[in-house]
Amino acid sequence: MSVVRVDLSKCIGCESCVKVCPMDVFYFDHTAHKSVIAYPENCQSCGQCFVHCQGRSLGMSNDMFGFAIPAMRQTTTAPMNRVVVTEPGVLTEMTRGELP
Amino acid sequence: MENKERKPVTKELPRPASVPCPYEARYETDVVVLGCGFAGLNAAVTARESGRRVLVVDKGRPGFSGLSPWPSSFRWFDPEKDDADAFRRAVLIGGDYISNMKWYEEWITDSKRIYHRLRDWGMLTPFPKPQEAGDFFERQDYAGYREAFQQLDRHEKWVEVLEKNGIPFLEYTMVTDVIVEEGRVRGVMGFHVPSGKVIAISARAVVMAMGGGCYKPSGFPAGGDTFDGEYIAYELGLPISGKEFEDSHGTSSVAPGSPFYYMNWQYLENIWPGGGDASQDNLKPFIESKVNFVVLGRARAAKNRLPASTGKEVTREAETNALRRGAALGYETDPDEIRSGKLGSPLPASDTHGGAIGMSSHLTGGVLCDLEDVSGRTGIDGLYVAGDGMHASYPGGASYPCGRGFTSCFCSIDGDHAGRAAAAFAAEATLQPLSEETVAERTEAITAPLRVERGFDPNWARDVLHGFMAPYWVTISKSEKVLEATLVQVEYMRDHVAPYLMARTSHDLRLCHEMKHKILSAEMKLRASLYRKESRGATYREDYPYRDDEHFLCYLTVNKTGEGMEIREVPVKEEWTGDREQAYEKRYLCYYPGEPEARGFHVEPPRWMGGGKKP
Ligand SMILES: Cc1cc2nc3c(=O)[nH]c(=O)nc-3n(C[C@H](O)[C@H](O)[C@H](O)COP(=O)(O)OP(=O)(O)OC[C@H]3O[C@@H](n4cnc5c(N)ncnc54)[C@H](O)[C@@H]3O)c2cc1C
Ligand code: SF4
Ligand code: SF4
Repeated sequence: MSVVRVDLSKCIGCESCVKVCPMDVFYFDHTAHKSVIAYPENCQSCGQCFVHCQGRSLGMSNDMFGFAIPAMRQTTTAPMNRVVVTEPGVLTEMTRGELP
Repeated sequence: MENKERKPVTKELPRPASVPCPYEARYETDVVVLGCGFAGLNAAVTARESGRRVLVVDKGRPGFSGLSPWPSSFRWFDPEKDDADAFRRAVLIGGDYISNMKWYEEWITDSKRIYHRLRDWGMLTPFPKPQEAGDFFERQDYAGYREAFQQLDRHEKWVEVLEKNGIPFLEYTMVTDVIVEEGRVRGVMGFHVPSGKVIAISARAVVMAMGGGCYKPSGFPAGGDTFDGEYIAYELGLPISGKEFEDSHGTSSVAPGSPFYYMNWQYLENIWPGGGDASQDNLKPFIESKVNFVVLGRARAAKNRLPASTGKEVTREAETNALRRGAALGYETDPDEIRSGKLGSPLPASDTHGGAIGMSSHLTGGVLCDLEDVSGRTGIDGLYVAGDGMHASYPGGASYPCGRGFTSCFCSIDGDHAGRAAAAFAAEATLQPLSEETVAERTEAITAPLRVERGFDPNWARDVLHGFMAPYWVTISKSEKVLEATLVQVEYMRDHVAPYLMARTSHDLRLCHEMKHKILSAEMKLRASLYRKESRGATYREDYPYRDDEHFLCYLTVNKTGEGMEIREVPVKEEWTGDREQAYEKRYLCYYPGEPEARGFHVEPPRWMGGGKKP
C-alpha cells in the first residue's frame, strides 16, 4: 500500500503533498512545477497527501505488494489485499460494500 | 524541458538533484523543543509565555507528523462534576497497580485547563461529521470534506499557534544529537532532511518531545516517530522504561498496513471531547470492559492463534463510544455537557494486532524520571522529556485501558509542565555556545553513512527487523525461548548491520539514523520482556501467565553501562500498589489466558470475549 499517481497532468503544483508528508516521500520539481513521488517505499499510507491534494492528482493504492506483514494473518490476507482508492467515489466494490 | 514546449508532463519526474535549505547552520536560543506534537507544542508555548526565546525543531511539519494528527477523542476531567475517586480507583486497578498516581493526579487537576487551552487554539472546534455535512461520506469524498471545513481543520492550527506566539520552527529537520557537557545540556544537532544541511543549535535548556516509534508503520500512522529521542536519551545514560509493554493498536486484515483504509474519517473529523465515564456505580464493568478490550482481547486471540474477526466488520462509534473511548455517561440530560454523544463515523474494524510494532503502550515508554517529579526533569541539568514514548510517566499504569482517550490530553499537560520547568531553568542558566570542535566532530558522525561505500540499504534492514519483531509470538504472546532467539537476531543486526548502513541521499541518511535507533529499541524491548517474568498490563508471557506482585511491582529501566545494557528495577511507590492483602482474584479483575489455572482459582469464562473463538 502506498500513495500512487493517478494523473500527473492534474498536479497544479500546490506543494501541499510536500508539506504534509511526514515520511519525506515527496519532492518538488520547480522547473516542471510538479510534485515528485520520490520515495514511495517509505510511504506509511496515512493518506494525508491524498486528502490535501488540490489537483486530485494522487491516489491511495493497496495494489503494491509492499505492505507490512502484520502480526497475524500473514498469509491469508495477501490475496484479499486489493482495496484501491483512486479518485473520490471510485472505490472497489469490496470497500464500498463494507461501509454503510 | 517538456514544460517549455507546453507538452503535458505525464511521466513521474526524477527526484531533483539538490534541494535548497531555508535554514541557517547555527542557532542560539533559550529553550529548544524537539518534536512538535501535543507535547512539544504545549512545551513551546508555555516556555514562550514565560518570556524565554524558544525554537522548535520537527522532523516533519508540526500538526502533520508523529501521532498527534490522529486522535479522535480528547478525554478530560471536570472537577465540578466527575468523581475523582472513581477515576483513581479505575486507573489503579486497570493499570495493574503500577500507575504513577502523582502524574494521574495532574490529569485530575489540570486537564480542564488544558482542554480550554486547546479549544482556544481551535483544535477542538466541532464541525459537522461527513454524514451530517452532505454526501461526503456516501461518496467517500475525503478531499472534498477536508476542503469544505479547511478553516476549522485542527491540523493547520499547530503552525498558526507557533506563529501567533512568535515561536520560530525548523521543519523537516531531524535531531540526532543532544549535547551534554559536564552534566549540563548545551544544545542539539541534526540535519535538514531534504537538503542534508547539518544544523547546530546552542541552547540553555532542551525539551525532548519526539514521540516513541515503530519499526515500520503497518496500519497505525506512527511512522514518523522512530525512537530517535529514546536512542539519544539511552546514549546519554538516562534510564529507559516501559519497553516491555506493547502497543495494542491493530490494523485491518482486509487492508493490512493501511491506516488510510480505516482511519481516514477519524483524521478528518473533529476531535471529540470525552470523559466523565467512570463512577462508583459502574466501576467494575468499566474496568473489565476496558481491560478486556484494550489488553486481554489480543492475548486471547494470540493464544487461540486466530485473528479477532474477519476483518470486514465495521465499528459503529456511535453505538460503542462509551466503551471504546469514554464519552460521558449519565450526563445525557445535562445540556451543557459536551463530552457525551456520538464519536465518529462508522469505520472498518482493526481486527489484527500489529499496527505499530515496537511502540510502547501509550505513556509507558521513554525516560523514567524521579517518581516525585511532575516536570519531566531528567537527571541532566537543563534536559526535560515530555509526551508519548519519550517520557515514561505511567499515568495509566502497565497499559492504558482506563486512560483510553486521554493520551492526547495527557501529553499536552506533560508538555506544558516540561516547558514551564525548562523556561525556569533557562532563566537562570548561562548560554555556552557549542564549540567548533564539537560541531565538526558531530557533523562527521551525522554524515558518516553518506561515506559508506559498500553496505546495507536501510529499507532492507527495516523489513528484516520488522520481520523478526512482528510475529505475535514475539510481541503479544511472549516466551523465554522465542525472546532469546529473537534477541540473537537483533544483536546480530546491532553488530553487523547497524555500522554498515549506507546512504546515497540525505533522505537515506534519515533512514540510516532511524534504523540504528530501531535496532537499539528492539534490543531494549526484548531484554525488558525477558526480565519481566510475569504478565502485567500490555506484556503477556505465555510461560508466566500471571501477575507476580512479590517480584514485579516495579518499573524496569534499561540502562547503558560499560558492559552493555543493564536492566534495573525501580519499585512502585507503596501507596500506588493497592490493597496487598486482598485475595489475588479480587485484586485483579481480569485474567490472562492460563492465569486462573496457574494461580489455582476458578472463574467463569469472560462474558466479554475480545479475542477469537476457539475452533
Ligand atoms: C491513529 C491514532 C489514534 C489515536 N487516537 C487517540 C484518541 O482517540 N485519543 C487520544 O487521547 N489519543 C489518541 N492517540 C494518541 C495520541 O495521539 C498521542 O499519544 C499523542 O498525540 C502523542 O503526542 P506527542 O506530542 O507526545 O508525540 P507525537 O505526536 O508523536 O510528536 C512527536 C513529534 O516529534 C517529531 N520527531 C520525532 N523524531 C524527531 C527527531 N529526531 N527530530 C525532530 N523531530 C522529531 C515527530 O515528527 C512528531 O511531530 C492516537 C494516536 C494515533 C496514531
Ligand atoms: S500517504 Fe502519508 S506517508 Fe504516504 S506519501 Fe502520502 S503523506 Fe506521505
Ligand atoms: S498536492 Fe496534488 S496538486 Fe498539489 S503538488 Fe501535490 S500532487 Fe500536485
